[in-house]
Amino acid sequence: MKCLVAMLAGAVLLPAQIELPARYRTAGVLRWASDAEGGAPFVYVDPADPQHEIGFEVELAAELAAVLGVRMVRTQTPWEHLVEGLNRGDFDLVMNGFEPTTDRLPQVRFTRPYYIFQQQLAAMAGSTTATLADCTGRRVGCLGGSASNLVLKQQPGIETVVYEDPSKIYVEIADGRNFAALADLPIAMFYAPQHPGVQLAGPPFGEFFYAIAVRKDEPELQRALDAGIVQLLRDGALERVYRKWGMWSAVEDRLREDRMASLLQGTVPGESAAAATFAWRPSLERMLAGAAVTAGISVAAFLVAIVLGLLLALTRLYGPRPLQWLAVAYIETFRGTPVLVQLLFLYYGLGQIPSLPKLEAWQAGILGLGLNYAAYEAEVYRGAIQGIPRGQVEAALALSLSGPLTLRFVVLPQALRLALPASTNDFIALFKDSSIVMVITVVELSKQYNMLASASGRHIALGLVTCALYLAMSLPLAFCARRFERALERDRR
Amino acid sequence: MIQVRGLEKRFGDRCLFAGLDLDFAVGRTTVITGRSGAGKSTLLRILNQLERHDAGVVRSDGLEIPAGLPHGEWKRRAARLRRRTGMVFQGYQLFPHLSVLANVTLAPIRGKRVPAADARAQALQLLESVGMAAVADRYPARLSGGESQRVAIARALAMEPEVLLLDEPTSALDPASARDVVGVIQRLRARGFTQVLVTHQHELAQQLADQLVDLDR
Repeated sequence: MKCLVAMLAGAVLLPAQIELPARYRTAGVLRWASDAEGGAPFVYVDPADPQHEIGFEVELAAELAAVLGVRMVRTQTPWEHLVEGLNRGDFDLVMNGFEPTTDRLPQVRFTRPYYIFQQQLAAMAGSTTATLADCTGRRVGCLGGSASNLVLKQQPGIETVVYEDPSKIYVEIADGRNFAALADLPIAMFYAPQHPGVQLAGPPFGEFFYAIAVRKDEPELQRALDAGIVQLLRDGALERVYRKWGMWSAVEDRLREDRMASLLQGTVPGESAAAATFAWRPSLERMLAGAAVTAGISVAAFLVAIVLGLLLALTRLYGPRPLQWLAVAYIETFRGTPVLVQLLFLYYGLGQIPSLPKLEAWQAGILGLGLNYAAYEAEVYRGAIQGIPRGQVEAALALSLSGPLTLRFVVLPQALRLALPASTNDFIALFKDSSIVMVITVVELSKQYNMLASASGRHIALGLVTCALYLAMSLPLAFCARRFERALERDRR
Repeated sequence: MIQVRGLEKRFGDRCLFAGLDLDFAVGRTTVITGRSGAGKSTLLRILNQLERHDAGVVRSDGLEIPAGLPHGEWKRRAARLRRRTGMVFQGYQLFPHLSVLANVTLAPIRGKRVPAADARAQALQLLESVGMAAVADRYPARLSGGESQRVAIARALAMEPEVLLLDEPTSALDPASARDVVGVIQRLRARGFTQVLVTHQHELAQQLADQLVDLDR
């Protein structure tokens, strides 16, 4: 009996025996996913040594690998697609400041938390903003799909602006477009000081968790990782890592509490379970709203492209030499660089120049797409104008019509017919390309799909709805273009 | 009256006309013949400056266009010359996107700013005179070659030129269509309208010419 007690006591004192599922033991590898883009301080490229990735989760992964007896290999995955990648089997676990949210709980299985964080507000330097209530009626930035995003959603009267990249959420405070930004404390501590004119506002609040996510059907892996985290808590490795990164506070002591073991199994603390059910009606309403944004931006951008494209084509064909060169330079520059870069430059780049007016995201989107497509339209129109037989212009000349009159009444009406098929093609392409404006925070159809699908996991159904909405807009467009073409063709019948 | 003196046109090292002197008398029909490549069409196009000459001078009632004018000045004088000449092209060059009537009224309405109703009335009269009033609403694609040519003549006449230049007006036409077109040209000749006509068909040249110019001689 004494012996048994001694054995039991010994078992408690000894490091826990961590048993990984057989397939991972055999392979000797656990693949963990995270996003190193804007990933500090979790995982990011070391600016001093860009061959290496650093971050507290990189060190955590190494510690876990040691106690689990396997290698941990990192897979780069965009943050908003971590859940999908996990369930596709691209990797075995997600460790990337991943918060157990109501949206994610039905889709993945969470371990016990390995970090407790709070929310931190940031505002323009010198402001007296201290709480979310101070932000009522204002624009507040946050990271899409983050805990901060959920907190803001539950706070009435705040206009939330969603970003993909944490390094961007503070940019627009300094230039006055946003009132404040809410982020996880580690993100706020790392990024806010990089922006002059931005200060942390008020004390951190709330209790939120980072936990590792594994597939739903892998409770053994979850338990093994739980055991690994407990081990790191016991031997002080976790605290060592957090202290090194300046992330340790008294709050972290709660990680040892018993409630943590089952805290994230089932429901999320602080959120109602009702939120987890998927509601079609509001989802469809959001997608329709997104479709309206897509249509509006596309039509407006194409109008810009038509007007500017025609000016460019005419300048290139008939303008004085220096202007011709300028037109060519414009066309080649805008055709030869990615529209993504042009949009980022237009919105964030020009936004840094204080003397320029600040564009709203949708304005920058319309302008950026319009400027880009103008280069393509210019070439379409030039080709069409040059496709008009020389004899037509000579006939107009022989009738004493002036150059501008010839252009307006003889050349352009005929060129329109030649340009229409290619131009329609460009419009449909622009229509789909317009989804790229999501990089400058415009929430259009594709972005709505992306957000709704990654929150609910309903990629197939929502994907089909999205495609149907795009087709519902582009097919009538193609149809109208063909009818218009036929109307112009009537003289050929 | 249009005159050319010492006219030359160079294409690379080939020289056409070699100092040609010609008078195109008012009220007469001058027919220019010659083999292919003799420069018949080129000469016609020089008469309304769709083509510039390299030596000599083109004259018309006080308007002098010597070779080698600076571009701006040449453009002004060429425009004045073109207001006095109407041109009928070998390939018709009707505007395919406009109806027959609109083809005829475009230049008067837009260029000369004739009120639209007047221009249409005049156009219908001209179309009547070439036998094409019935197809005023059609588009050029639905016209035969002969019909197109007659519409082209009406279109040129609508600008009220002093001289009508016709480039091979019947060479692409079947005999019946050609007869219709020749009929129009003959009526203009009978009215004393000044015409310059290019053709390689000797029979036609004999039939229409008050003055015959053979570029091969």
